[in-house]
Amino acid sequence: MPRIPGAGLVSGMRLTLTRFFQPKRTVMYPEAKPDIAPRNRGRLELVTDEHGTLKCETCFQCAQACPIECIDMGGTDTKGRFAVHWGPAEQYAERREESAMRRSGRTVSDAAAATGATINTTKVDEILEAHDYDPHHMLGILEAIQGAYGYLPVDALKRVSGATGAWYAMVYGTATFYKHLAFEPGVTRSIAVCRCANCLVSGAGSVMGTLSYEFATEFGRAIPWSNLRLESLPSHLLGAPSPLVVIDGEPQRDLSAKNAASWAAALAGRYAA
Amino acid sequence: MKRLNAPKGWSQLLFTTPTEPWAALRAAAAAGAAGTTATLTAAGLRGRGGGGFLTGAKWQATAAEPASQHYAVANGYESDPAVFTNRLLMEENPQGIVEGLAIAALTVGAREAFIAVRAEYTEAIKRLEAVITNAERDGILGATLLGTGRELIITVRPLQGSSMIGEETVLMKALAGKRGQPEQTPPYPSEVGYLGKPTAVNNVATLAAVPWILNNGAAAYAQIGDTAQPGTVLVQISGSVANPGVLEVPTGTLLNEIIAAAGGTASGAAIKALLVGGPTGGFIPANLFGGTPYSGAGLKSVGAHIGSGALLALDNSVAIPELATMLTRWCADEACGKTIPCRIGTRRLAEIGQRFVDGLAGPDDAERLQKLAADVTDSALCAHEALAPSPLLTGVRYFASEFGPAVAEPSATPTSGRS
Repeated sequence: MPRIPGAGLVSGMRLTLTRFFQPKRTVMYPEAKPDIAPRNRGRLELVTDEHGTLKCETCFQCAQACPIECIDMGGTDTKGRFAVHWGPAEQYAERREESAMRRSGRTVSDAAAATGATINTTKVDEILEAHDYDPHHMLGILEAIQGAYGYLPVDALKRVSGATGAWYAMVYGTATFYKHLAFEPGVTRSIAVCRCANCLVSGAGSVMGTLSYEFATEFGRAIPWSNLRLESLPSHLLGAPSPLVVIDGEPQRDLSAKNAASWAAALAGRYAA
Repeated sequence: MKRLNAPKGWSQLLFTTPTEPWAALRAAAAAGAAGTTATLTAAGLRGRGGGGFLTGAKWQATAAEPASQHYAVANGYESDPAVFTNRLLMEENPQGIVEGLAIAALTVGAREAFIAVRAEYTEAIKRLEAVITNAERDGILGATLLGTGRELIITVRPLQGSSMIGEETVLMKALAGKRGQPEQTPPYPSEVGYLGKPTAVNNVATLAAVPWILNNGAAAYAQIGDTAQPGTVLVQISGSVANPGVLEVPTGTLLNEIIAAAGGTASGAAIKALLVGGPTGGFIPANLFGGTPYSGAGLKSVGAHIGSGALLALDNSVAIPELATMLTRWCADEACGKTIPCRIGTRRLAEIGQRFVDGLAGPDDAERLQKLAADVTDSALCAHEALAPSPLLTGVRYFASEFGPAVAEPSATPTSGRS
């Protein structure tokens, strides 16, 4: 096509002028409101990436932001930990399947519901009573529940949410943030490695690397085949040597900067056997 | 970790229990809020938690904030897993801390005050509670503060589970039972703090100095140490020194004086570097020990900060890139996940560091490290994120040869066309 000066301008202006004389779509909200069915909320859907994996990483932000708490969810969180779901607790069970279908277009498996881990919540009620049902005591409440049950059962968190009036998302958010609170039942023992700068200088890094590799478990998680958890020690013990490994609360004395890696390998071998 | 004897001439006041308990509180009550803040401002007392605000100005701002409730909080939550300075302080001078907090509460008009302590510090908790119980029995604290009919309830709150709790906005969340993620400042806790009310948050080491200042006068305090940031700070020196331990150091003391006070090197091997400020601190090379004062401004100019008060002496057996990478990984693992540059950027920084350790660094990695570190720092919501790149940045800056040719002689290695 030969180049005609001004052709681009004309074709551009044609679109502009056409739109100029068409009816306007803009509505001066909130003075004027568009004619929409009263219960229409648009279409909510979860987006998948090019591999077909859900992009949602269950970060809580939407459920926490939702002013009328209408958003709820099911699934496992990014740490592979549990089914999470929130929304008004009393409506939750009945709505779950239907709601998951409606909002995401597919059912979401609910591991917690499937295992049916119902617990006796009398102890939870006693703890709540002792803390005056005050959501500002949430950490104390959760610590006491963990003390009573050994872990944080999902049912207990729901009860806490219902009784204190704190949203389930808030309770769950607090419970997942603090590292001393645990969700796995039956994990009673721990191998904790200190990660302070002194210990890192003396070989804590190689102890962690070896243990993580030998147990095939990341730090901060329970070892799948055992009642053990690998964790970082929150703070070095006063007067303890470096590197420091604490097993079930007992500081280990027989490792040093020189034998750190082989000591860790031997430890893993002992537990695997 | 024990307390070391300080060399002659170093003022020691933080560990000194007030000779006449509650005299400073009575003086503060007599002087009123304006008088107390004026004294503290004249003394030049600045926060020891890292922010370095003038304590007097902070309390004045908190008190001036209109609200139905005001709170005062003593921050004794040590984030650095290696450091015990606050723990020793709380165990040895609980009187000074409780009295300092009571003065803070009185000044800002708080009826409730908290001491946040690591739950692991059982002995410190016991001693702080003993001081509070005795004071309540004697009618100094509790239902009638000094018999005036005003109320002041001080509670010790053991916390655990995240090293982020040491950050003041996170501390406000943790005390209120929420997820421990920081908030944008301003507004500072002095405007919006515990339960959304104005709150004076002070490090326990700041509070312990308050009774001393009121008892001994602002002028006596102002002439200790550095004039820009007078007073003393607590440091914990460890690593390859003869006497590792906790020292009370006048601000502005040179780094080599602190090393000498800890007995010099342990094995006779020269100290190659000091890691100053804990896991988010900076490596300072030996040639700067003589010219770097231990003060906020002095350390900032060389890429470090007072931070947790930790000084780790490193000899030649330690590889800086490896240690810097492990510290960055700790920062990444402790990150709360609120800002994405922190959650993902620190992880990427650790990966770049690991490539330097393994000798697999590409020609762009040195530049990528600098750019990413700048992004992480710029987007920082809290000090953890702002300072997390410091170990790698100072490592690259002062120990370039250990990071390999890509850092040491950038001109010698081919770079891609990207700039």
